Amino acid sequence: MSEVKRVLVAMSGGVDSSVAAALLREAGHDLIGVTLHLWDADGEQQVGRCCAPEDRDDARRTCEHLGIPHYVLDEREAFRKNVIDPFVAEYQAGRTPIPCVSCNRTVKLTYLADVARRFDATHIATGHYARLERAPHGKLRLLRGRDDEKDQSYFLFGLPQSTLETLVFPLGELTKSEVRKAGRRLGVPNADKPESMELCFVPDGRVGDFINREGTPTISGDIVDPAGTVLGRHEGVANFTRGQRRGLGLGGGGTRYVLRIVPDTAEVVVGDESQLYDRQLIATDAHWVGGRPADALRGEVRIRYRHRGALADVTPTGHGFKVRFDEPQRAITPGQAAVVYRGDEVIGGGFIA
Amino acid sequence: MIYLDHHAAAPAPETVRRAMQEAATVAWANPSSTHAAGRASRRLLEAARDDVAKSIGATAADVVLTGGGTEACNLGIRGLAAGRVRVVTSQVEHPAVAQSVGRLGTEGREVIALSVVEGQPPSPAQLAPHLGPDTLVAVQWVNHETGTVFPIHEYAQACRQHQAHLFVDATQALGKVPVDVGALGADAVAIAAQKIGGPAGAGACWVRRGLELQPLLDGGLQERGRRPGTPDTLSMVGFGAACRSIGDRLAGQPRVTELRDRIEATLVQLGAVPNGRAPRTGTVSNLSFQGWKGPLLAAALDLEGVCLSTGAACSSGLQEPSAVIRAMYPDEQWRAGSAVRISLGIETTERDIETASGAFRQILARGGA
Repeated sequence: MSEVKRVLVAMSGGVDSSVAAALLREAGHDLIGVTLHLWDADGEQQVGRCCAPEDRDDARRTCEHLGIPHYVLDEREAFRKNVIDPFVAEYQAGRTPIPCVSCNRTVKLTYLADVARRFDATHIATGHYARLERAPHGKLRLLRGRDDEKDQSYFLFGLPQSTLETLVFPLGELTKSEVRKAGRRLGVPNADKPESMELCFVPDGRVGDFINREGTPTISGDIVDPAGTVLGRHEGVANFTRGQRRGLGLGGGGTRYVLRIVPDTAEVVVGDESQLYDRQLIATDAHWVGGRPADALRGEVRIRYRHRGALADVTPTGHGFKVRFDEPQRAITPGQAAVVYRGDEVIGGGFIA
Repeated sequence: MIYLDHHAAAPAPETVRRAMQEAATVAWANPSSTHAAGRASRRLLEAARDDVAKSIGATAADVVLTGGGTEACNLGIRGLAAGRVRVVTSQVEHPAVAQSVGRLGTEGREVIALSVVEGQPPSPAQLAPHLGPDTLVAVQWVNHETGTVFPIHEYAQACRQHQAHLFVDATQALGKVPVDVGALGADAVAIAAQKIGGPAGAGACWVRRGLELQPLLDGGLQERGRRPGTPDTLSMVGFGAACRSIGDRLAGQPRVTELRDRIEATLVQLGAVPNGRAPRTGTVSNLSFQGWKGPLLAAALDLEGVCLSTGAACSSGLQEPSAVIRAMYPDEQWRAGSAVRISLGIETTERDIETASGAFRQILARGGA
């Protein structure tokens, strides 16, 4: 970080962003803590309720501990318009969206860039587990975080170079246990706070209930086998995702999995696990971190956050790309991101059609 | 650091700080105790009550000391509401009044909130049709966000004519306009120390002699049975000392107004739009800035050493768009979200105003696309 003037730190109130701030403070940077208020938390759950008052308090306490100013900025409107509404629409259309990608691209980092400009800050730091590296040709390369388990580069493929230029990831070289250790060493007040694994605005993981609350009620319909035979009823397409086994409510006849969702008829098609495997996918709305590759390339492609990546041939098309895996992959799910890696480097990504 | 948030809290002057430091050796004792230590504390408490009473033209016996302005408002409103079926208020009240009245509404009383469009307070003629012996009027004297001055003497006259009860929230009026409860003729008036350089935990509710006032809490017969709990002598000493500065504050208003007009003119030239032009105190300018959110602009100014606020309520640092500005400009919703409040006091200097204007100029240049 040369020529760093002021650094804006995105503070969620969680351990990661708190430690990111503490590490930058220790390195002597001039910091401003900012918490974006994106959503009004509800429900009784104490951990992982999105943007809950106790999280704002934790962020404020950390900033007080570090002796830096802290502001809460209200971006609920932008979050609803750019993240929640498309999320609901995607589920209604039978897909399984990944809102964190659009949140980073269209809300969080875009808005923080605007805030940074107005605060006269040159850089934005976040608690993401990812790394940036300057390539010989001058552009920035986006790399996996050092901690394989925590790596969040998957969510960041959509960021343009102009955004990457302003970003700082203080946790990129660390593992989660090193982060907690650093938090304790630096006296970060919430260093042992548990973390949530679910979507921030659906802390209980019950997406169907969320859609019923926030959108038009999720559409009920038949559960059918691949031949069209009706096996049962379901209470809404938003309760299902490809590869799902639980919650079908079908008695007997062996284990069945959701193969696909037909939005027009609200049918959930189920079948054997063997029918979940595909060798190809098409991705749309692609973004290439260092520019669109001229030719087809070999790489590993991750088809969901918890997917380790599989070798494939990737061919760029107009606004997307085609992927042909060496080995068939289980449950390639429309709406999720397909992210192309070469080693640790994120080459680009898109959304599975 | 430039401090331009006097409507939130006025800085404690040397006189207040010294009075509280000196009192600290005595004021810890319970002023209700009859022994020497208690008497010493009580002497300070009652001297403070005299100063508070004097600052509003009241008799000391009619002043109930409270733990701040919000409590004073609640006590006055709830205390006077007994036996009334209707409450008349305005749409731009401080939450201490608005939410206290709101609770009376949920308890079954009819609530009429008169509009204050573009900062124009309701005329006494607009008030009159709602008044009667079963009515409580609960309104502010000076608006906390825009400085709008309500014609409170005329309201009092109308209330007397119709035998309605009148509660006045004078927390932002004290030190900015002359307050004389004897001449006013209201039934209860709330004030707060924090707005005149005293500590935050001190306020008072003046009550017209002979009126029964139900206490908010159970627990003791302090303050003539109207406010249970041991009074905080130390804070009251600070309140009393602050009240002795009321004369200086009132005398300083023309100079404060001049400074306010100067910074407002500068900011209007930079594109700001003033909120609430009606008769107002000279201590405040409330301005909306297109292309900005109020909290963002206030934060950017803070980073350049200028303290001011949006004036709106705040919890855990989250600021909602101003309900006051929204009510004043129902057809221009952008104003509420992009408003900041610059509030000055007699401590404000020309240099403060110049520095703050410079910071605004520099920051506004960063905004826009």
